[in-house]
Amino acid sequence: MTLTPTYSVSHQAYLKIFFHAAKHPHKPVNGVLVGKPSGESGAVIVDAIPLLHNWTSLSPMMEIGLDLAGGHAAEQGLILVGYYQACDRLDDRALAPVGERVASKLREGFKDAIAFVLDGERLDTGEAALIPFLPAPGSTTVWNRVSAPPEPFTAGSSFRLSSEHSPKVAIGFVRDERLHQKFGDFDDHLEDVTIDWLQNKACMPSAE
Amino acid sequence: MSLATALSTLANYRSHNSRASQDVFDKGSVVLKSGATKKLGDASWDFLEQLALASIDVGRLDVADECIHLLVTKFPESPRVDVLSGIRMEASETPDVALAYYDQLIEVDPSSGALWKRRIAVLRRMGKIEKTVEELNQFLDTFYNDVEGWLELADIHATCYQYTASLQALSHLLLLNPQNPFYFLKFAETAYTSGDLPLALKMFLVVVDMSEREDELVKGPPRGIAIRAWFGIKQCSRRLLANPNHQSASHTATPKHLNLIEELSTERILAAYSGKGVLGLPAVRQWLGRV
Repeated sequence: MTLTPTYSVSHQAYLKIFFHAAKHPHKPVNGVLVGKPSGESGAVIVDAIPLLHNWTSLSPMMEIGLDLAGGHAAEQGLILVGYYQACDRLDDRALAPVGERVASKLREGFKDAIAFVLDGERLDTGEAALIPFLPAPGSTTVWNRVSAPPEPFTAGSSFRLSSEHSPKVAIGFVRDERLHQKFGDFDDHLEDVTIDWLQNKACMPSAE
Repeated sequence: MSLATALSTLANYRSHNSRASQDVFDKGSVVLKSGATKKLGDASWDFLEQLALASIDVGRLDVADECIHLLVTKFPESPRVDVLSGIRMEASETPDVALAYYDQLIEVDPSSGALWKRRIAVLRRMGKIEKTVEELNQFLDTFYNDVEGWLELADIHATCYQYTASLQALSHLLLLNPQNPFYFLKFAETAYTSGDLPLALKMFLVVVDMSEREDELVKGPPRGIAIRAWFGIKQCSRRLLANPNHQSASHTATPKHLNLIEELSTERILAAYSGKGVLGLPAVRQWLGRV
């Protein structure tokens, strides 16, 4: 019997993905997930590192960003365990070809690498707005939305948030405190190297 | 915040084409409520258009409708207001409805480039890529100088892995705007993605040439767009050194002193990270092979 891989998303990682999308609502954005293997299969996602928003279909800065993010993760004894993206259209919930390529590349380093697409229709509902994608059975390059019940991030699912309040808290931070405006990614950093894309401490609430 | 400050910020956003929608909405709705628009004179119409677009962005269609109503009353036949009404329609109606709206207007006024562009944007959003490319090419035959159109065409091709076509669209941009390093940067990154490293390297070097004056190169660390270009130079030269028999689809020659270029890029990147308050140096040193 094969074990179903389990994935948990930390509060910090959820906030960062949410902030990244909120800062660039009219652009596609992407980034990588940092963490460690979870027991026998799956991953504990500890953090997210935001990469691009200028354009996501070209590769040089993506390659460099991945290398730097990987190096940063290794310094903390962690690895790259996944990829995330948000689209510029609310109704677009497909993993873009570039996402498939990056996620497939991450699988070479970590066999259970996962990809998430931010669900635009759920952003303001207070539910987990992440749609998980895993490779199609027998394929390494084609990725499918995880469709087997139970629905991801509901009771009994192999996907869970470390803090079930993350989605509501994230909405509050964006709406009331505008924390996402202090958020920076690798694209920002490449214009101004004082922007803390690797950690984004300035917009992480300290009490977590 | 005083009304005057709000107005000057908004005017500044307009002149820079900034899409800071939330901020525009926050400041703009204060101006609108205060009734100060009347005092703005002719600038009030630009302001209403700006606030309408920002309101659509942040989902406050009620405020957008208020602005558009004022604009329609003042300029009942204006194509510019028609475009705005169309964008408002796109926010709440199906793409088909918006498309029919644009079709009907274009029939009356085929010379309106702005309406045509909205129509193309809707087609792309509907996923009709072939039709979008076809229309965009026709559009650019008529409006050759339209920078946004060429960027859009380059972007569509790149998204579909058609890098040669993407580079062709970008080369028109370079002809139209030979002073804008941003387009050269985009060209370089597209060339890299297509696998043509010598061409990418050449274009990254052009970006540096355009954005760093010689005295800056000697004295200070790279700033802004030049940092990104130096990262690109490092990546290209490193890969070319590892594979000297690299083929260039555009037959671009590889520079003779590649190792010196690579060394210079390492120095420039380290210089960029030498300033105060710079973070992430360990990961960068490791990437540069300078641990």
